Amino acid sequence: MDTMRRALLGQMTKLTVGAALVPLSSIASAGINDQPPRREGDPAKRYQPPRREGDPAKRYAMLIDLRACIGCQACTVSCHIENEVPLGSFRTIVSQYEVEHEDSGDIATFMLPRLCNHCDSPPCVPVCPVQATFQREDGIVVVDNDVCVGCGYCVQACPYDARFINEHTQTADKCTFCAHRLDVGLLPACVESCVGGARIIGDIRDPNSQISQMIDEHSKELMVLKPEQGTSPHVFYLGMDDRFISRPDAKPALWDVRDPQGEEMGYEFHGH
Amino acid sequence: MDKNRRNLIKGAAAAGGIAAFGAGYYGPLEKMGKGLINGTAGKKTADRLHGNSLAPEYSVDPQTGEITLNQDQRIAFTVCYGCTTKCGVRVRIDNNEEKVLRVSGNPYHPLSADEHLDEDIPVLDALRGLSSFQDQGQLNRSTACARGNAAMAQLTSDNRVLQCLKRVGPRGSGQWQTVSFEQLLDEIVEGGDLFAEGAVDGLRAIRDVETPLDANNPEYGPKANQLLMMEATDYGRSALLKRFAFNAFGTRNYGHHGAYCGLAFRMGSGALMNDLAKYAHVKPDLANTKFALFIGTAPSQAGNPFKRQGRLLAQARSTGSLEYVVVDPALNAAASHAASDRNRWISILPGTDTALAMGLIRWMLENNGYAADYLALPGNTAANAAGEAGHSNATHLVIDDDSHPRAGHFLRLSDLGQAEAGSESDHPVVVNNAGDLESAEAASRGQLFVERQVDTADGTTTVRSSLFKLRQQAQAYSIEEYADYCGIEAGTIKALAKRFARFGRQAAADVHGGMMSGSGFYASWGVNMLNLLAGSYNHKGGVAVGGGKYNGMGSGPRYDLDGFPGKIGPKGVFLSRSRFPYEKTSEYKRHVANGESPYPAKAPWRKLAPPILTEHLLSGIDGYPYHIKAMIGVMANPLYGQAGLTEMIESKLKDPKNIGLYVAVDGFINETNRYADYIVPDSVMYEVWGFTGAWSGTVTKMTTACWPVVEPRQAKTAAGEPVSMDSFFIELAKRLDLPGFGDNAITGADGKSYPLNRAEDYYLRAAANIALAGKPLADASAEDIHASGIEPLMERLQGTLTADEVGPVAHLYSRGGRFEKMEKAYNGQKLGNTWNRPLCVYNEEVGTTIDSYSGKRLVGTPMFHPPRFWDGSALRDHFTQEDWPLLAFSFKSNLMNSYSIGLERLRMIKPYNPVLLHYKDAEKYGVKHGDAIAIESPGGKVIALALVGEHVHQGALGIEHGYGHRELGAGTHVIDGEKRPGNEYLGAGVNLNDLGFADPTRKSGTATWLENVSGASVRQGLPVRISVVNDLI
Repeated sequence: MDTMRRALLGQMTKLTVGAALVPLSSIASAGINDQPPRREGDPAKRYQPPRREGDPAKRYAMLIDLRACIGCQACTVSCHIENEVPLGSFRTIVSQYEVEHEDSGDIATFMLPRLCNHCDSPPCVPVCPVQATFQREDGIVVVDNDVCVGCGYCVQACPYDARFINEHTQTADKCTFCAHRLDVGLLPACVESCVGGARIIGDIRDPNSQISQMIDEHSKELMVLKPEQGTSPHVFYLGMDDRFISRPDAKPALWDVRDPQGEEMGYEFHGH
Repeated sequence: MDKNRRNLIKGAAAAGGIAAFGAGYYGPLEKMGKGLINGTAGKKTADRLHGNSLAPEYSVDPQTGEITLNQDQRIAFTVCYGCTTKCGVRVRIDNNEEKVLRVSGNPYHPLSADEHLDEDIPVLDALRGLSSFQDQGQLNRSTACARGNAAMAQLTSDNRVLQCLKRVGPRGSGQWQTVSFEQLLDEIVEGGDLFAEGAVDGLRAIRDVETPLDANNPEYGPKANQLLMMEATDYGRSALLKRFAFNAFGTRNYGHHGAYCGLAFRMGSGALMNDLAKYAHVKPDLANTKFALFIGTAPSQAGNPFKRQGRLLAQARSTGSLEYVVVDPALNAAASHAASDRNRWISILPGTDTALAMGLIRWMLENNGYAADYLALPGNTAANAAGEAGHSNATHLVIDDDSHPRAGHFLRLSDLGQAEAGSESDHPVVVNNAGDLESAEAASRGQLFVERQVDTADGTTTVRSSLFKLRQQAQAYSIEEYADYCGIEAGTIKALAKRFARFGRQAAADVHGGMMSGSGFYASWGVNMLNLLAGSYNHKGGVAVGGGKYNGMGSGPRYDLDGFPGKIGPKGVFLSRSRFPYEKTSEYKRHVANGESPYPAKAPWRKLAPPILTEHLLSGIDGYPYHIKAMIGVMANPLYGQAGLTEMIESKLKDPKNIGLYVAVDGFINETNRYADYIVPDSVMYEVWGFTGAWSGTVTKMTTACWPVVEPRQAKTAAGEPVSMDSFFIELAKRLDLPGFGDNAITGADGKSYPLNRAEDYYLRAAANIALAGKPLADASAEDIHASGIEPLMERLQGTLTADEVGPVAHLYSRGGRFEKMEKAYNGQKLGNTWNRPLCVYNEEVGTTIDSYSGKRLVGTPMFHPPRFWDGSALRDHFTQEDWPLLAFSFKSNLMNSYSIGLERLRMIKPYNPVLLHYKDAEKYGVKHGDAIAIESPGGKVIALALVGEHVHQGALGIEHGYGHRELGAGTHVIDGEKRPGNEYLGAGVNLNDLGFADPTRKSGTATWLENVSGASVRQGLPVRISVVNDLI
């Protein structure tokens, strides 16, 4: 993992500010669950409570082959159903951008599936005043709904906008890699329904797993989101444009919803 | 979202772009206080860590792979109605609540699985293959798409029609009362003063299969033709509907959505494939194609089969060896930046694809960019000798002289006095390598480019080879002129043609609904011609017609579901004046007898077109060729789908004098059936019976079996059957004493008679025909029956089928259908399933068809013409560039379809459809990103938000289809005095079809703009102008 981390941190030098990126449509550039800018700081240096529960022999991670992502949102919807996520909130979503190729000038679509990165140094964990959110031994970051008081500190702390307060449970909510399915030998909903075959989950401590082999094969090309935050994310992207590893400087999506007379209606669902 | 945020976004846009991360800040802070004081403020979750996530449907032992099923749930295989691809899915159902939990793909199914499983694999093994055990489930997935996942909300939707409804106010007023199924049947059969508006003819009075409906025009057929049947598409039940319509009731008139979906594409394809009856088409064999050119279609954005193409494209560009170019007015999902070394988007002006196609053809023909050896094969004899799956008519000679009685036909041996005309040996003639005329079946090769004089029985005449004629058409304009017209640089067209030609038989041109323009028929034929010139039909890595389906509804090995005692053959002219030459009408003959010119006809007679809903409705109201008296629509919604129809027809539909009776069969109230007199509640997805096939590109043969995996929610008949399309037609036929339904309506292969009183009487017997076709399926094991959730079905199998049919039919349903094995997909370098008719460079049927306006023959090869109206005049002759500077087009959404707006999980991702505008056009018209703009066409006006960028061709305006609804939950209805308010969010956005308009060269109020040859609704390239709407801001 150290090699991997160094390789990923190495990408920082590639950080560039690209040409104006225009989101294709209203699913575009807003975060999964729009959050305001937050305090910076090196989470790696923060205290991390010890990991507990889960299989200590495993370290789950996800690799997303962006070349195979068709932006169909099957992951978004199947996750939403599987995990009974409130309408208007998302544990995962695919952002879609119109982007100009830096060399050719061609215009193309860039699909960016987003979810909890199950970081090795998750900034969301130490800020929890009641230790409701913690990291399992297998790397999955979870929230104990019986303990969570819904304060929202973790929501603010996540640099990836991956958390939200569930309006039904009033607790912090996020992707769990579908731990309830992984624990019984099934695939997460998003992986199972990935039409293009872009999402690969698995145990990176098992050298024979598909994900380990793909990491070996593509180690030089993999990138993570916001490596400069020092969170050591465990969602790896293949085919990433480094203009996207930090929040892209994009023209905003249009979140307006208009009726046939052109009058503003607002967003139908709570959460935005 | 409040006004402040909206303004903030606009400000940001104007300032040059920062991402908007505004909302959501105050919510959590508020809850923090609440939580700390009260403990967890919300509802306690089912599990402390997994929250309210669903309980897993089974577990897999990590060591042994052994499966333990969750006994509180079941998994069943059936079909998805989320779009017209009709994928086979696996449905997870809660056994205690009888509720669908979630849906994913059926691993046996070619439309859902990466590599579909052989059906002799036990179900439990298949389930293991979907799990994380040894990563199997992600090495070979079987998926459902976003819409397929979200669509289950249809089942429990508040907008469902669950009772039989009868209108109590004027048509379209949204006032209904519930009535019993039996009352509904009584009233529509017997008619009478049903709405206190005067007498209405019932179906019994209309059903007369003897008396001509018009004595002056006996070819119009009997009075029974005054019933029009409409359907959305075949979701596996059309065979029963047609059994009622054509063969029991005896009406000729049936139309489905094809004419406002992709008909221009299908007909252009049919012209090439020598199939102007069913319009066969092809799709690339993406798993092996080396270079693909997508024009007017974009796998992974949309298309049919959606998931299969999307998955193959994704894999081929990331781990395979595919390169491709997407030609589209709009940027779409197929143009992948992450795989930018493998693909490129080229934008084009809407409705100009003919120019691009003819430019590409011209380059290929002038630069030896075609498969000369293959094209030179003149007949089957030569093709067989060369090991080819078929041949083309490139070398066949066409009589190209208007003064010759056989002008437009192929020169045949009979023209040379060497065979009897019309006999089997009357083959076309080619010029062989020695330069002599020879039978296409005798010559080993023919010359490709021929123009010469030939002596025939009817005199000396000019003949030209098909390929020569194509080259003539292609050379009518220079590549630079084509380039100028379609907005793609000449250099790009040449480079594209060169690249396509270089990959030869592993190049594939793919085309679909983007061809719905005013020149769509020839555009589609032209694009398909690229495949023929490259020789890629039937070739591995080329284009595939697909494996077809197992037909259970014909005369099968166990039951004859086609023929029955008393079966009627429908007669007469279609309401849409299609498949019938004007020259055979009494009207034409009267004109000729009176010494008048018969041309132009009163309205188009399209000999080559199928029955088309785009003409049916307006013709039936206008009364040419005849009036209709009643209409039954099943899930049909032409008012939403046909450009310009709503504006033209709405007031007419409201008046019952135009059509006396309109019965709709549907689970939902849509933009069309809101004008119905009665609505029969239908089963929705997962509650239905049926058998569906696959579209082209699915290289193995397959049929999906659908059965009600959950009990239908709607009302029951007096006999206790769910009211549905099936029970409606069965009971209606029985009331009308029609043949083919009721006791003894089905004949078995054993000679015995069987009843058709319930849906399963029909569908389970069709299942037996499929399961026992060829080598019968094995009996399902008890474990398969349990693991595939078909236990509730077994009793019906045992009660309906013979003992020896039960096991194989159970096997069929336990796998969700019957599927040819993957190994049959290829035969060496050829596809396993091939299309063997001669492929048409020149189509004789097209080339001899008379245009009913001009009286002239149609051009029999692909050609360039600008979008035009019925009289042949060009779009821009009527609507100038100056007045209408932009061309609007619609494109398929990768999320929403025409009937999915009610699915909240799709709305939450994409609640609205801002329109695509090029930044240069935006500058020109003073539009800023996020401005509200009025879009005006000659037929309507809509207001939308402008999404400004480089995602659309300059001069074009793109509208994502699926929004701008007035019904499906958007409209308010009153049922039994109780108000069911509409949800305004379902009405958000705009529908391009509201910008459609009348063909100005046809009788006022009788026709929207339709493509001339096919009658397809024109929706690509509608002339519009835009202006910023200031008073809204």
